[in-house]
Amino acid sequence: MPAMISILDPTAVPASGQQQTRRTLDSLQGKVVGFIDNAKTNFNHLVDDMAMVLEKQYGVKSVIKHRKRAATLAVADDVLKDMARQCDVIITGSGD
Amino acid sequence: MPLGRTQATALGYADLPIAVVAHPFASHSRDKLRKLADECTASVLKLIREAQPAAESVTKAAARIATIDVEDDADAVNRLFRERRWTDGFPVVAPTRERVQRMLRCTPRDARDVVAVIPPGFGPATVELIAINAVMAGCEPEYMPVLIAAVEAAADPKFNLQAIQATTNSAGVWLIVNGPVAKRLGMNAGINCLGNGNWANATLGRALRLALQNAGGALPGDMDQATQGQPGKYSFCCAENEDASPWEPLHVERGYTAVQSTVTVVGASGTLNMNMHSKDDELLRSIADTMAHPSSNDYWFGGAPWIILSPEHADVLKSLGLRKEDVRRELWERSKMPANRFSARERVRIQSVRRDELGEIALDSLIPISPKVEGIGIIVAGGPGTHSVYVPSFGAKNAVTREVIWAG
Repeated sequence: MPAMISILDPTAVPASGQQQTRRTLDSLQGKVVGFIDNAKTNFNHLVDDMAMVLEKQYGVKSVIKHRKRAATLAVADDVLKDMARQCDVIITGSGD
Repeated sequence: MPLGRTQATALGYADLPIAVVAHPFASHSRDKLRKLADECTASVLKLIREAQPAAESVTKAAARIATIDVEDDADAVNRLFRERRWTDGFPVVAPTRERVQRMLRCTPRDARDVVAVIPPGFGPATVELIAINAVMAGCEPEYMPVLIAAVEAAADPKFNLQAIQATTNSAGVWLIVNGPVAKRLGMNAGINCLGNGNWANATLGRALRLALQNAGGALPGDMDQATQGQPGKYSFCCAENEDASPWEPLHVERGYTAVQSTVTVVGASGTLNMNMHSKDDELLRSIADTMAHPSSNDYWFGGAPWIILSPEHADVLKSLGLRKEDVRRELWERSKMPANRFSARERVRIQSVRRDELGEIALDSLIPISPKVEGIGIIVAGGPGTHSVYVPSFGAKNAVTREVIWAG
């Protein structure tokens, strides 16, 4: 039987914030949808096209779009609060 | 997906609906994007309708560090670390309880103190976790106060660590040490100070990187999406050559006294050697022209690039009657680039990010590398020779300095 040692795990326990409650939606008819565009190339076009589909095919009342100045810069708190106040759903992008 | 899911969970939205869009789409035509929009919208709708309301749950308390039993053999230990992706690709020193305790004796802080929460996974970097990674890297116990200060500095919101940890950019964290601690730990500020060979430089830079990786959870190919990365992501650490500098050192410039010791973290995209033999004003022109390149993140964001001046170059500039702030101002002015040197796409990006600062940009507008003169960082380091180093920065961040607090 080989000799054994105990070593300590160098990784952090992943964070798990207090679970937030959410509403669910049965449909988007008459709803306001927000987009936070992460400013990566072509995301603005994808947002425009998705907005058109949502309004024409799914009866969305209106679409609010916010394009970040750059992907690596966070959205300002007041912008987030304002969008949360106005929108029923917000779609945001992560990655490239 | 890993980045989105990990961050959503950390913020309390473990069941946040996430739609995955086929990537990359940056070069898609408009027709292809329209088709993608149809697919994407359908996926999003499906997720919204199928999503279940979140269940109540309790925030997890910070757990004790786990221990793992492994064969007392270096190969077995490193096999374990490789399999679990706990290392940087190099072998480690096994973080046994005894070794970690030796580290912890060199700081007055409690082992379970949370020094910082590290993005993108928002894992807590406790004093103990930092000590574990310090052992792995090969640090001496007396390095702990420096490492704790470095982790704290890197987690400062002004540093924007989230951006560095999960970017496609090559950026890594460069650690600069100032004050008496540098000599106390035998750090290298002279010949080959950015290279191999010095224990403190090598292991401190490595330990910082390991701690940020293992606490933040950003592994290459998962949440760390660096297209190529850079060697500085293994270790990037040096002391300033305060003895050879004709000016005040970095930490004094930043408001500390000469007898205090500090760490400064910089989001560095790499290094570029500048071999310059001028003994006059042309030295400044050469440096400024090196800084001015159209693929630079610094111009895009209005960044914070750095110059590591060799002692010889610093003396030349001093002999021209220049203070450090004069050098900074000259470089800021001379490195301004006309907008027509950037590609059309980069001009659009610069305009978007810097509109408030620069207004409307014309093709002949001169774009400064940093919003303010003070954005350019300068230290003196290295040995004899006509080589200085340009360190472009990630751009969307500021260097942060923290004092090193000793036990006694």
